[in-house]
Amino acid sequence: MNLCFAILTLALAASGCERSHGVVLWHAYQGSEAEALSRSVGRWNANHPDTLVELVGVPYNSFGDKLTSAIPGGNGPDLFIYPQDRIGDWAEAQIIEPLEFWVDDARADRFSDVSLEAMAYKGSLWGLPMAVKSLALFYRTDLVDAPPATTDELFALAPSMRERNGYAVAYANHDLYGHAPWLFGYGGKILDGDKLAIATPEAAAAMTFARELVEKGAAPKGAEGPMVATLFNEGRAATAISGPWFLQDIASGVPYKIAILPTVSATGRPASPFLGAEGLLMSARAKDKDAAFAVMDALTSDIAAIERAKIAKQLVPNVHAYDDPVVGADPVLGAFRAQLANTVPMPIHPAMRMVWTPYKTALGEVVSGRAQAGPQLLAVEREVAGYLIGARK
Amino acid sequence: MTVVRQLRDFAIAACLAILIATVAFVVVRNTELAARQIELASRAAAAIAEGNELPGVHAVIVGHATPNAKRPYLRTRQVYEHSTWRPLAATYGADDKVFFDAANRYDHERAMARAGIRAEMLPDGTGRAIAVIPVSTLPPRDAAAKSPTDTTATSPTETAAKSPTDTTAKSPTDTASSGPAPTDSAKPSGVAVAITASARPAPYPWLAILGVLGLGAALAAAGALVGGRATCVGLAVGIATLAIPCMLWQAWIAATLITLVGVGVALAQHAHLTDRFATGLRAHRIALGFLAPAAVSMLVLVLVPFIIGLVIGFYDHHHGTWTFVGLDNFGEILSGGGRPLDDPLNFWFIFGVTVLWTVVNVFFHVTIGVALALVLSRGWLRGKGVFRMLLILPWAIPNYITALIWKGMFNTEYGGINQLLDAAGLDGVSWIGSFFTSFSANVITNTWLGFPFMMVVAIGALENIPKELYEAASVDGASPWQRFRHITLPHLRPAMGPAIALGSIWTFNMFNVIHLVSGGQPGGATNILVTDAYRWAFERGERYGMAAAYATVIFLILLLWTVFGARIVKRKDDES
Repeated sequence: MNLCFAILTLALAASGCERSHGVVLWHAYQGSEAEALSRSVGRWNANHPDTLVELVGVPYNSFGDKLTSAIPGGNGPDLFIYPQDRIGDWAEAQIIEPLEFWVDDARADRFSDVSLEAMAYKGSLWGLPMAVKSLALFYRTDLVDAPPATTDELFALAPSMRERNGYAVAYANHDLYGHAPWLFGYGGKILDGDKLAIATPEAAAAMTFARELVEKGAAPKGAEGPMVATLFNEGRAATAISGPWFLQDIASGVPYKIAILPTVSATGRPASPFLGAEGLLMSARAKDKDAAFAVMDALTSDIAAIERAKIAKQLVPNVHAYDDPVVGADPVLGAFRAQLANTVPMPIHPAMRMVWTPYKTALGEVVSGRAQAGPQLLAVEREVAGYLIGARK
Repeated sequence: MTVVRQLRDFAIAACLAILIATVAFVVVRNTELAARQIELASRAAAAIAEGNELPGVHAVIVGHATPNAKRPYLRTRQVYEHSTWRPLAATYGADDKVFFDAANRYDHERAMARAGIRAEMLPDGTGRAIAVIPVSTLPPRDAAAKSPTDTTATSPTETAAKSPTDTTAKSPTDTASSGPAPTDSAKPSGVAVAITASARPAPYPWLAILGVLGLGAALAAAGALVGGRATCVGLAVGIATLAIPCMLWQAWIAATLITLVGVGVALAQHAHLTDRFATGLRAHRIALGFLAPAAVSMLVLVLVPFIIGLVIGFYDHHHGTWTFVGLDNFGEILSGGGRPLDDPLNFWFIFGVTVLWTVVNVFFHVTIGVALALVLSRGWLRGKGVFRMLLILPWAIPNYITALIWKGMFNTEYGGINQLLDAAGLDGVSWIGSFFTSFSANVITNTWLGFPFMMVVAIGALENIPKELYEAASVDGASPWQRFRHITLPHLRPAMGPAIALGSIWTFNMFNVIHLVSGGQPGGATNILVTDAYRWAFERGERYGMAAAYATVIFLILLLWTVFGARIVKRKDDES
């Protein structure tokens, strides 16, 4: 270890020569999101010539691993924007900085509770939310008059749509993210505190419901993103469950509206999708942490949030951003905001990363009618538990 | 002349010796500095818990966390410094954040039942150390100095510890001894945190190094001037002089290494090895100059990562900290980690799958490749060039693209293969649903990718078989099978042997196909060793040590296979 330490020290000494003043921010934003961000940063830089913020665009697919390897060596950005799902990992590895020291109630009141909670892990706050994302119900106004309020109403749409060789609802039903509304609507879980709670009767009921949707012809088999869009655009799906990114997939001329997801008739609970939050996080090795936090504070301010909501149509977590007449009147933002009340924050427990693939396999087997939900869920839980035993110590 | 030669040898050895000494110095001074700083921080933390301050150390007592009523993840703390309590907040000083986080981390680790005194270097590169120890009795609250925010944060414990008469700033020592006993001694109500001032490690001792270098050179030259046996002794002693600073730093390993280098170079000189080396360098300097770029890039791109990978295999990585675990990773791998043999995470299971995968693939590659080569080398076939080009196409396309295309074709609902089966009136297959189908999907993809190589090699070999042999065999009345068995096959073998060895290594490590087509599903059963190593590193809690150990094991397996496999192929050739 001493040798490693020595090499590290030498490397640090070599790299220490060019140390810039200012705050480096990595992001994977593109298009209008990047434009809105750079506008907020431009305003900061105009007012703080001594602490300039440098924006660095980094491709999303290599983002996470780059941070994981760069920051422990004292490199990497001071701040970065990333979805909350790796906060657990990064907090444990001391890659990101806890923030509650700087955040008092006045600052916290700026954000909706659920979005701020999404940035919390093990009793600390690790990021300030920039945008939240969840699924909602898109429906074609030419095919349905009012959005289905319950899953029974959803089933009721099926016969008429079948006549058009179509479906009542198109969604990514082989994917845990797409399936999550039913899972939580049935009262299922993935984690109970720190423990796995994948194989529960409620989760099995949710999976069986997903199969029923397919068997009764209400939903297509194994649909994925592009296919959901095609079905919806061609009028072969009366409704589609998707997120804000779906907006750009909808063909022009398709009459649609967005509503909250229906209530699960069997339980009376609302279908609740995952709430994903994108946060502004601070590297544990940030050079000037107070300055970096000041930048975080400015970039998550109401003014910056309104800018992002207007330019990039981001669903910003700032409560008062919606007092702005333009933002408040936006129908798309309004619909997604209404859905926020019925969401489940995406768990940031490190185990979550190991759940996706096995769960997807199980969903595929059950939804296509090849296997029963109960045993499949048990297999998923056993597989993930096996990985966790591997990751012990 | 002897002096020049002596100094040349001394210079070579001195370069090595100084490198060793420098590494030793950096290690020693960093360890020493860390130890000194950590010791100081621990002492200061213990002192402040008793109410004493040590000069040059910023030490405080941090009160327990008061969770925010509405948001439990926002906590506030009070800090006792300069005999007063104040809120721990950004407005007071640069160290407050560090105090706050240290107390939080202490609480967190206690909750995880990893309690105890903790002291470590701060990771910010300033050379500061921090120490945290629990304090069961907090100093009393000074009512007069209380700020408005204090009222909300005052805890029951602190209120209990407050004595009404305590209006003047009393020395904390008094209260520590005379104050009321804490209500629950098991749970400390606060922590003492100390941060040392930043410190730079000792500077590199240029003068000392230059001094011993000069002394060593003088000794070596003196030896050369005396001549005879003294030349060697002088060289050895001269180089060993460089070990003196290492001894002063108590870096015994480095000192021994340098001495060994000295003795080694002296012996080499005695055996005229250094002379031959120097002459060789001079004679081949043009050739070596051409080789140097390739050698350097091999060193940097292959050897260095290889050695780092080897070393990482002996460490365990958990959430950013590396611990030396010796052979534990290898033990866990080779013992199967206590998992049953049919568990897809057991090394031997994966090894079995990998061997099966390699054998099945190479079998298909060779049979299909040779069969196609035989067809394509027929004289009567028209449009040979077109067929060859078409058949080489799978090889020309990057294999991850091919793998992704096949993955799409194997899609259960919309994949091309199931649609064909559907059209033929058969049931679709859930390709990644079971081990057999998932493994078959991988094999089909990799066969598609692998046969062109074998075909090209076989075509080349076939074209080199003299036509007369076939003519002679026909004259002797040999059947087509006999001609194939006794002429074609023996002539193919010398070319196919190395191709099979190479193909088996490629297949053994065919990451792309497994990762992209089946992704190891179902339940990790179709993983091969390389994809499982990847998963240990990037999907199962970043166990880089485990993954590196896997890589080493894979390397050793392939090394054995190349050494012994090559021998088997050669022996067969000799037999035939």
